[in-house]
Amino acid sequence: MSQIVLKGVSYSYSLGEGRSLKALKNLSFSIEKGEFVTLLGMNGSGKSTLAKLLNGLFIPSEGEILIDGLSTASEKNTFEIRKKVGMVFQNPDNQMVATIIEDDIAFGPENLGLKREEIVKRVDEALKSVGMEEFRERTTQKLSGGQKQRIAIAGVLAMRPDVIIFDESTSMLDPKGRDEIMDIARKLNSEGITIINITHSMEEAALSDRVIVLRKGRIAIDGNPKEVFSSELVDACGLVLPLVTASSKNLIKSGYDFGCAVTSEDEFVEGICKTLSK
Amino acid sequence: MQNIIEVKNLTCIYSRKTPYEKKALDGINLGIEEGSFVALVGATGSGKSTFIQHLNGLIKVQDKKTMSVSVGGKSLSDKKNLRNIRFEVGMVFQYPEYQLFEDTVAKDIAFGPKNMKLPAEEIDKRVRKAMEVVGLDYDTFAERSPFDLSGGEKRRAAIAGVIAMQPKVLILDEPVAGLDPAGREEILLLIKKLQEEVSPTVILVSHNMDDVARLADRVIALKDGKVVADGSPKEIFADRELIKESGLEVPTATRIADRLRERGIDLSENIILMSELEKALAEKLEDRNV
Repeated sequence: MSQIVLKGVSYSYSLGEGRSLKALKNLSFSIEKGEFVTLLGMNGSGKSTLAKLLNGLFIPSEGEILIDGLSTASEKNTFEIRKKVGMVFQNPDNQMVATIIEDDIAFGPENLGLKREEIVKRVDEALKSVGMEEFRERTTQKLSGGQKQRIAIAGVLAMRPDVIIFDESTSMLDPKGRDEIMDIARKLNSEGITIINITHSMEEAALSDRVIVLRKGRIAIDGNPKEVFSSELVDACGLVLPLVTASSKNLIKSGYDFGCAVTSEDEFVEGICKTLSK
Repeated sequence: MQNIIEVKNLTCIYSRKTPYEKKALDGINLGIEEGSFVALVGATGSGKSTFIQHLNGLIKVQDKKTMSVSVGGKSLSDKKNLRNIRFEVGMVFQYPEYQLFEDTVAKDIAFGPKNMKLPAEEIDKRVRKAMEVVGLDYDTFAERSPFDLSGGEKRRAAIAGVIAMQPKVLILDEPVAGLDPAGREEILLLIKKLQEEVSPTVILVSHNMDDVARLADRVIALKDGKVVADGSPKEIFADRELIKESGLEVPTATRIADRLRERGIDLSENIILMSELEKALAEKLEDRNV
């Protein structure tokens, strides 16, 4: 059975006075354990709503979501589901609860009622995993954006989640911070954690196994990055192709041959070298 | 062209005489010509935000005797100039939509001009003009709550509130952060348009070197509060040593051109745009086929 299953899921926001806004419409799909999935789509396409549904912060208005077979709609599953599905938000400052880093990371495990030794062990492991061991006893205030986001990830890791959702977690960071976070996401994925990355960055999307594009609350495209970037629906979904992909299309007109849809700089460079050496 | 902004000897120290003392700006000297499009770049913590906040007096010059910041020849250290300079230097902060506060879009945009004590008709004219420039239809949006708009619309409404004051200098701190790709493109095109129609001098704070290469005619790079590079995008990005030292990146086109050069493909040193790279590569193929 798939780790995450959505069956006919819709979600409506109430706007008051009896009006409502349907943010997600009849979504059905599943995600397997260990996948690295990118969620793309314009502002307002329903990406963040979907993220909040996946760990039970929101409950579907219609349909059902199962995490390892547990329905998010049932209150008795909420605790278990929140342990399984961790979230890293856009602004790390909103996710910090303590002033000392180790206290911040221990917050989740403490709420699980674990023994002290187990908590210490988990904090150690989580800090090591994000490369912030030496920051253990420092305060959270003097960190860079990328470092803060790494602490937020460590806080999630200390809960030993099976799935981590990054909800535009790199959008407030500079390029260096962005690379740090994506490197960690890839490493965690290689250790078996399912990653769902919500982003506007096509460069980040190119790094994932699977890309799901939402448009007006429905799935418009679902496939690997190559399939998605060569889809005719790209413009309609408000996506702008990565520079190398867009550029390769122009160069094909000039006579270059890339042999496939270009999603990375490596493929771009190879295609040009090959064409010129023919 | 004349310098509209003059900065002399500007140093700024936070938390002075405490263990947390930090030199955010360290001896900055520069002038910005009227009509230029300047990109201000540098890693997080390099002093970009501190610098731009000096340009409209949100942060005061710490030592009037040795340092000065002036706009249009008027010193910011002189209190009586401050009010006018704030109207002349429009500041669009990061995530400016968080600053929307009125119950209708039109009222929100009118807030600045109202503070300038302009007559009612002039305020109305400016609100309409500002909405037109940012692409928000007056009849559709004027009476709506700014909080019911989409992310991109909110940001345009917030920018309209700044340009309704018709500032001579427009400063934008990462104006496309958090927008989807289509929204990014809209705002970047809008900034060019604003320069042509409203504010002739633009200072853009950005981490995106592709945007910088495309839009700016001058790049100023800060590191640890010092100016470490200052020149045209082509000059700056051609100096790889400098780029490395100042903790910057090069545009995608420059990076790819470097990789192709390593593979023995002869390309000009000053490629900064994908269109330039495409042109050079198309010519290569043509030459070979001749």
